[in-house]
Amino acid sequence: MRVEQALRLLPNLEALLPLRGLLLSSARPDARVQWGSGGPYLTVGKRDVEPGELARSMGRVLTVVTEHINALFGAYIEALECQERNDAPGAAAALVGAGRLEEGVGRLSQAHAWYDVALALAETLQDRRPEVETLLAIGHVCLALGQYAEGARHYQRALVLAEAEFDRGRAVDASMGLGDAAFERAEWIGARAWYSRALRLSDAANDRLRLGQIEHRLGLLDRREGDLAAAGEHLRRARAAFEGLDAAGTARDMARVLDAQGDLDAALGRPGPAAGAFREALAWVRRDQHDPALDVSIRLHLAELLLETGRWLEADEEMRRAEQLAITSNQPRGLVRIYTALGTLRGRQGDETGFVFFEQAIALCRAFEGPAVDEARVFYAYGLFRQVSGSPDEARAHLERARDIFRSLGVDVEVERVETALRSSHDVNTAVGGAG
Amino acid sequence: MSRTVTRPTQSTTNGFAPPARAATGGVRVLAVGGESGPGPLQSLRQWAPDLAIDLEWAADLPRATRLLAGGHWDLVLAVLGDRSDEELTWWVDALRAAHGGTRLIALADRPSMGLALRAEKLGVLDVLALPLKREALASTLARVRSAATEVALPLPPPEADYDTEGHYALVGQSPAMLEVYKLMARVANSTATVLILGESGTGKEVVARTIHQHGPAAAGAFVAVNCAAIPENLLESELFGHEKGAFTGAVARKIGRFEQAAGGTLFLDEIADMSLALQAKILRAVQEREIERVGGGESIPVTVRLIAATNRDLHDAITHGRFREDLYYRLAVVTIQLPRLIDRGDDLLLLIGHFARQFGTRYGKRIESLSDRALELLRNHQWVGNVRELRNVIERAAIVVADGTLRSEHLPDELRAEEPGVPERSRGGLPTLAEAEARHIARVLSHTGGQIGSAAEILGIHRNTLTRKMKEYGL
Repeated sequence: MRVEQALRLLPNLEALLPLRGLLLSSARPDARVQWGSGGPYLTVGKRDVEPGELARSMGRVLTVVTEHINALFGAYIEALECQERNDAPGAAAALVGAGRLEEGVGRLSQAHAWYDVALALAETLQDRRPEVETLLAIGHVCLALGQYAEGARHYQRALVLAEAEFDRGRAVDASMGLGDAAFERAEWIGARAWYSRALRLSDAANDRLRLGQIEHRLGLLDRREGDLAAAGEHLRRARAAFEGLDAAGTARDMARVLDAQGDLDAALGRPGPAAGAFREALAWVRRDQHDPALDVSIRLHLAELLLETGRWLEADEEMRRAEQLAITSNQPRGLVRIYTALGTLRGRQGDETGFVFFEQAIALCRAFEGPAVDEARVFYAYGLFRQVSGSPDEARAHLERARDIFRSLGVDVEVERVETALRSSHDVNTAVGGAG
Repeated sequence: MSRTVTRPTQSTTNGFAPPARAATGGVRVLAVGGESGPGPLQSLRQWAPDLAIDLEWAADLPRATRLLAGGHWDLVLAVLGDRSDEELTWWVDALRAAHGGTRLIALADRPSMGLALRAEKLGVLDVLALPLKREALASTLARVRSAATEVALPLPPPEADYDTEGHYALVGQSPAMLEVYKLMARVANSTATVLILGESGTGKEVVARTIHQHGPAAAGAFVAVNCAAIPENLLESELFGHEKGAFTGAVARKIGRFEQAAGGTLFLDEIADMSLALQAKILRAVQEREIERVGGGESIPVTVRLIAATNRDLHDAITHGRFREDLYYRLAVVTIQLPRLIDRGDDLLLLIGHFARQFGTRYGKRIESLSDRALELLRNHQWVGNVRELRNVIERAAIVVADGTLRSEHLPDELRAEEPGVPERSRGGLPTLAEAEARHIARVLSHTGGQIGSAAEILGIHRNTLTRKMKEYGL
């Protein structure tokens, strides 16, 4: 049975999300389809799933779910016990811990709910540190959910409180969070101001880990603003900061820096060093506890580099490797990005059937309730694809949908980008109408 | 990082690496492993002069990546850690991306049979146990060196009368293909519906295009729809079109593929992947020669030549109620069965020549010959993906080929893994019963794409027995 058929038989209930995840991770391609003419368009929906195999894997999944629920219940009991001993900060910490557990398995809205309860409790305390901790956690999850304005609001409160408490470390975290929120909304001046403030504070504390992380963010910022030389310098400093630390503990940070370096080299027109940086980033990902989401992300960047340099076959192969990893490690968000990229690749090749990838990406966004920003990005890319494939009405509908979502998230720069595409779509329509 | 450069003990005329690659003419080896020192590879330094290898060492993967990017390596000797499967996959990916056909020897503490089989499937040159034994490494190196004695054979010239349109070409002179050509010639001039059967990648669309080009509808459009690729819920609107507002997302009227193909040919590929409900609508379109757009009440007459294709057994699908018998008879007015690539004899060589020229032009290479070993590997391969798989293999080779001769090192790891020289992992060169069983199970599982039920059926054992054996062999 095909995954798309199996998903149709599964109601959209929160409690069944682990089963959805299991369906995804046990999907296998049918060898006939793989080598058939449908092979290049194979998506997870067209993979096969065997009920017997699902049944056999169910025990393993239920164990993981049970362990997760056990840990949540445990955190809750701990919060109750702390309350009974009048240890409200302990209770708040236990509730935040539960939220982190939810966040760790990608249940972002649920994590938010735990943090909200923790915050309500922390706000009643004289000791403001639990409140700071909780506000930072909410800020983080808000950004992951694409709720940038709300995230910034929480980070702002955390910063004020941390400074009042003379807690330099938390003040750095809050400043970085504020920088991230501004960065996501493409508010470059604001992002730079917050990162620079975090940098000054970390420098004073000689906190090399955070220094490296901020230098990395400043590198990304300069890259987005087009100052490639400055970006390179920040990334070099970030790398130097991490190199002095325990290698295993900073493997992910190092991988992220190398990923950014690859992107920078690509922008500088140096595909060889760029590919080398991406490969080294992948090697770093393997050093620590494997992070499949980061692995998928780096592979996608590598594929995009190959796509830009016209190496379509290799780009396709790299995307397919990322797809396989995203499927087996149950990364629906990663799959959404991969299918968007594959659709874009087919668009470049002038292949109209490439629309199946966008449709699959949209179906995944809905089935797994990802952040709205993911869906907006798919609609934007789909709109561009339809523009090129000569379906202006459909292109406009997708672009308008993307614009509305970006607007609701307050990402003005993205709204402007979509508006530009809509204007060009309108110009094409007018020209076609005029010619007719 | 340390470096040991040794001179080979004998002439390297037949050495593995071209002289330009390694200053000493020996095999360039990058040894990777151990965070704090070469550890298990310590003895490798001592053996390097006798084994005629140029040895460099990298402590970890990031350093190895930098070294790999910086030059040509013939071999990588990688010590696998606790997550040996993951590391093995990473290495295969990394070396696949590196140009020049670097081969991998994986070193592991007590390698399991599962690891050895996975390595073999991935095209890894060898898996050796730690502590590393000199004889084992020497034997693997000898295999590497023997691979260097490849003789270049000229590729066959292009056939004079290729039936081509763009990238599509019918290439082949085998008796099986001649039968196909005769049948195509007979049906082309009519407007009869044609059903093309054949395994994946045998060229069903190419045949459909050729029939269209030589038929009465040649001036019209050739519209191909891949029924297996399109999500089920969108296939109906893709084929028949829809009216504005027919469903969420129907922002404008859409003209379907049937209408697009009016006056030409509509090619429905992988027709067996269609739902029964949609099959009924196709039947109506074929019988009545009219369609209705989704959300529209109007019947629209359509004049199209229909060619359908599938890689599935339609009789079996009919028996199991998955395909309408009446539709089958409507489609199968003329049936063309395409042969598998392995049944096409020397067509393989003609196709290799054709694709080598096609992709050579695309990637700016002049590929004029093929080595005897590469040909042997290509001949021995099973080609489950038939011509499409061959095309893919030659395209990948065309990207990495450097000097106009397509060699075994340019072929994918999966093919090289089938080299007859791959040694068995037990004494005396013969596998134990358990090894043979594990290999066969791995092969069948690969064939079924990991589907345990189907694999158990092929092996003739209960699925629980298969699951137990898979666990036992670490598969």
